[in-house]
Amino acid sequence: MEQALVVENLKKSYGKFEALHGVSFEVAPGEIFALIGPNGAGKTTTLRIVATILQPTSGTAHVYGMDIQKDAARIREVISYLPEEAGAYKNLTGLGYLSFMAELFASDTAVQREYIQRASDITGLGERLRDKIGTYSKGMTRKLLLSRAVMTRPKLAIIDEPTSGLDVVAAIDIRESIRRSAVDGMAVLLSSHNMLEIEYLSDRVAIVDKGTIHDVGTPQGLKDKYGKANLEEVFVQVVKQ
Amino acid sequence: MRRFFVVLKKELKEMLTWQTLAPILVIMVIYSFLGRVINQEQKKQSAPQPMTIVDFDRSQTSQMLAGILTKANFKVTTITEGIVDDIVRKVASEKGTAVLVIPQGFEAGIQAQHPQKVQTYTIMRNFSLLGMNGTFRFDAALSAMNEYVGDIYIKTGAPGLDPATVRHAISAQSFVTVGTTSAEANPQEIVSVVMQQTMVIPIVLMLVIILASQMIAASIAGEKENKTLETLLSTPVARGALVTAKMMASGIVALVSAAAYMVGMKSYMGSLIGGTGGTSAAVGQAIQKLGLVLNLRGYVLLGLSVFAGIMVALSIAVILGAFAEDLKSVQFAIMPLIMIVLLPYLITMFIDINTASPVLKWLIYAIPFSHPFLAAQFIFAHNFTMVVAGIVYQFALFLVLATVAARIFSTDRILTMKLNTARRGSGLGGWTLQREGISFRLRRK
Repeated sequence: MEQALVVENLKKSYGKFEALHGVSFEVAPGEIFALIGPNGAGKTTTLRIVATILQPTSGTAHVYGMDIQKDAARIREVISYLPEEAGAYKNLTGLGYLSFMAELFASDTAVQREYIQRASDITGLGERLRDKIGTYSKGMTRKLLLSRAVMTRPKLAIIDEPTSGLDVVAAIDIRESIRRSAVDGMAVLLSSHNMLEIEYLSDRVAIVDKGTIHDVGTPQGLKDKYGKANLEEVFVQVVKQ
Repeated sequence: MRRFFVVLKKELKEMLTWQTLAPILVIMVIYSFLGRVINQEQKKQSAPQPMTIVDFDRSQTSQMLAGILTKANFKVTTITEGIVDDIVRKVASEKGTAVLVIPQGFEAGIQAQHPQKVQTYTIMRNFSLLGMNGTFRFDAALSAMNEYVGDIYIKTGAPGLDPATVRHAISAQSFVTVGTTSAEANPQEIVSVVMQQTMVIPIVLMLVIILASQMIAASIAGEKENKTLETLLSTPVARGALVTAKMMASGIVALVSAAAYMVGMKSYMGSLIGGTGGTSAAVGQAIQKLGLVLNLRGYVLLGLSVFAGIMVALSIAVILGAFAEDLKSVQFAIMPLIMIVLLPYLITMFIDINTASPVLKWLIYAIPFSHPFLAAQFIFAHNFTMVVAGIVYQFALFLVLATVAARIFSTDRILTMKLNTARRGSGLGGWTLQREGISFRLRRK
């Protein structure tokens, strides 16, 4: 079966600073794959490269066989990207924002309506969707953005720090939404420095630090391999090695 | 007290950054530069003013008057025959500014103790603030001539002579010449009306350019800060379409701004010369005849120049806005743009572009925003070639800058370029433009 994402020896430099030292991993369709690591580990850079908004210094990445540099326009048709702590246009209503984004992806108005309906259902914001985004709480905005990211049923959703800065209830809602979306066959590449969240959410995990992937495996597999009780302890052990 | 100084030191450290100091330094440099330029212009103005006397009387009195005017610090050239209109045109073409016509029978009239009338032609070609202030004034010449003739009357003793004739033996019928057209009018009244027009154009235009630029730069920085730009860049919308839509939206806003500007200008100028205000109908007619109001062609040219200027400003603002990481840094990011708008605004108000040194002249022409500022002056001086050339230059520059802006959006430069104003631990601090391996630093000593 064709992999949703294949990343091979990806490197990225900002001037003299090398953010990625040759990252390689694969994500299968319907799989939730997480990059975990501290701030500045290179997670966001990897996600941005896969989302086609940054160009790698060297190495390759293929989304369903399409090259991220040569076929960037085609890749953008099948992915969606949700940046960390992203905002939305505050003067638009929630519905207006969904409509605007749906129009960018939809081939016709029927499809656009379908996307908006799906997103409205996922947000659970109800009538508040008619209010301006500027009046939303952080959790409401994140729910709106997540629903926007999955409303088109992308083949690969790229989500950076999905619950960063959210309270426990909002974070659980978001995690549930991601889980439900992946059931439909959508591959998810996400990043987080919240390792407990990742342990709950992900099928497989890559431990990233200083631009290098140190190990890849299922959360349980990694815990067993290193004989630790949770991923945080696994991370510390792996990085120390 | 010690704690007070700790807080004071911290406040000063926060306030004395390159963001606050750079504008002050730049303004200091601009003022020093302007001071020198204005000083040179004033020296030009205080030199003996050339005047051509058309002496149809060819009498001893008229020749004496020429001598009196030379003594009164005028550089006099005398012509004794020809057609007045032709002579005025010739003087105008040779960059002269004043023609005094002494009619035939002048001496006889003086001897008969009849008040005499001379014709004065004030040639206007420089419509900058300083240029119009220096418009040739015949008052001093007339005063010197009246003093001379009054002395003759007093010496000859004429008990029956009207004292008014002694004081004002010679009066002037004043004409103003612009290009090849002359109209009977008081030059000071014409200067007053034209100055009111040319003063307001740059002020409003500068505001429009700065506002439009801030708007687009803030829009880009806002998208970067909110990360809506990252989201947009990952959608199926072509990068070219993204930047074109942004530029076009700004262009439409600029067009509306330019149109509003032109409507405001038309209404303002209409009220100035409409006869309902302080300007007399005669002055209004003279202004119309001299072409010192904008007709349809003038409005179109000025509108195009303003629009092109705004588009250049917007494309520069897009590029500079790409350096801004957030709304807070927009002001600092577009500071270079504000400076290059401010410079021609101040220069073109004070200097005569026609007599400026070649280096200064080309420096002014190279700044795209000089052209909308100069457009009205050129239109009034009937120099349409310069207006059209300016518009062509601005649009060409806009195309180049728009291409650069599109390139920035097409690559990851839009996300990786940034202005780094943070102080470093090394104590260097300063202003850094960064992009993947490219770093320009202005060191703070």
